[in-house]
Amino acid sequence: MEMNDPLRREEKKETGPDRDDSGPSSPEPSRPGKDSLLKRMKKVDPKQSEKYKQRTGQ
Amino acid sequence: MSVPLLGMETEYGIIREDMENSDPVEESMKLLQACERKSVSGKWAYSQENSHLDMRGFKVGSLAQDEEEDAFCAEDRKRPYSYLDMKCDRVLTNGARFYNDHTHPEYSTPECRSVLSLVAHDVAGERIVAECVALRNRELGGKPLQLFKNNTDYSGHSYGTHDNYLIPRETLFEDLVKGLTPFLVTRQLYAGAGKVGSESVGDFQGLQLAQRSDFIETVLSIETMTNRPLINTRDEPHAVSSRYRRLHLILGDANMSAYATALKVGSTSLVLNLIANGEKFPGLELADPVADVSKVSLDKTAALKRKANGTVTALEIQEAYLEAAEKAFAGKDRERDWILEEWKKTLDELRYSPEKLSDRIDWAIKEKLFTEFMQSEGIGWEDPMLKSLDLEYHNLDPDRGLYRGLEQEGDVYSLLSEEEIVRAVDSPPVGTRAQIRGQAVAQSAENIKRIHWTGVEFVNGEILDLTGVISSEEVEEVLNTCKQLV
Repeated sequence: MEMNDPLRREEKKETGPDRDDSGPSSPEPSRPGKDSLLKRMKKVDPKQSEKYKQRTGQ
Repeated sequence: MSVPLLGMETEYGIIREDMENSDPVEESMKLLQACERKSVSGKWAYSQENSHLDMRGFKVGSLAQDEEEDAFCAEDRKRPYSYLDMKCDRVLTNGARFYNDHTHPEYSTPECRSVLSLVAHDVAGERIVAECVALRNRELGGKPLQLFKNNTDYSGHSYGTHDNYLIPRETLFEDLVKGLTPFLVTRQLYAGAGKVGSESVGDFQGLQLAQRSDFIETVLSIETMTNRPLINTRDEPHAVSSRYRRLHLILGDANMSAYATALKVGSTSLVLNLIANGEKFPGLELADPVADVSKVSLDKTAALKRKANGTVTALEIQEAYLEAAEKAFAGKDRERDWILEEWKKTLDELRYSPEKLSDRIDWAIKEKLFTEFMQSEGIGWEDPMLKSLDLEYHNLDPDRGLYRGLEQEGDVYSLLSEEEIVRAVDSPPVGTRAQIRGQAVAQSAENIKRIHWTGVEFVNGEILDLTGVISSEEVEEVLNTCKQLV
């Protein structure tokens, strides 16, 4: 859970539009959470979008 | 800067998963009623609204949204509450408006001075909406209510994410349209949230760049629910109208990536500044800009016909705007330098290594994520699962949303610190009139009779007119002279 690491958070804080920065840095190449995200995706109801009916907005 | 204030309005998708036919009016009301945040409720000054004036110099009799409202009013006669009850207007301590608009909960950010501030307030809106979803689900038990920050139901119904820019009235509207149109057609290269399938091209299977591109039908229109335009012509500045216009852009997507929102709003703001400076882009005019919106969304390398002669790609158009912006604004201030650097980096990566965008541009994040999933499951874009995954990418639920999952795993770029988001949830942007509004809500909510973007009316009859309060100096003056009110 890299995002909860305060040091990482501090690093990220230095990259916004009104801060001293050199643009966004890519996340770590290794993805320890890849499997958990895949599990999350597999849990999605395949009919979810079919059931999702909205009314027209602006 | 020629764009002193920025704002963003987001209509959220809403559904009850435990009901076959959930009533969006009912569910949106219950969501707003669940909100526990300090706010002024049901006091929005609708008398200050006028959405029928057109920037082209005329007034329209009625809009499609009026008919929609009328239909709801007719339906509401059967309901045990009034039209205003249904709207559930809330103004929060951060100066935002949170209410129900056309069957969708809508979060309108307070007016912001900087791009970073606007993005923080847009994300704050996600937090506040998600907080209300959790409160409502606690009442219901389980998690039957789900909300989505997206723009389509994949069946032809779209709802909006509108970016707003206060700009000088002296800029000719014709110059604005000519200068801005090619830019708007092509900014979806980085501002598109990505959509599986198409609602205008039936046999398209794959991921297109933007959710709203299927719904753009004309260059100019005052309408927002039908005949949706590249540039909305509603002339409602919520400011001194002889000095300002509010450019109300309804073609944009709801971005989950804060970086994409920053790039979208930042680049648009720079182009508006170029146009205000008298810059023209005659070589970029397109022969059929409306058709090109969908064309680019379906194929980012498509050749677009110029109005003069020859063709140009979306990327070449964006590069031309960037070059002009670099010449005019490089080295002026930190925010503009950040926008220019990131805009350039994004366009360079689009040209040479688009896979590098997959941690911060929504359509590219989806492309990588869904491609990996298709490979692991042995399915293709035509599988209905892909549209469901696409929808779930936008789910605000931290335990279900795919973008939320990517955030939790550190797989997407994080533009904002937690402190910046929390501050935007509670507090208004300093130095804007939203600071006055937010302060009034925080300190004198019980004394407010009516409230609007342009002012506050108190129960003692005093009126704080904010129509002309745009600069930070004007804000400070009001704060210093009206301490007893706010």
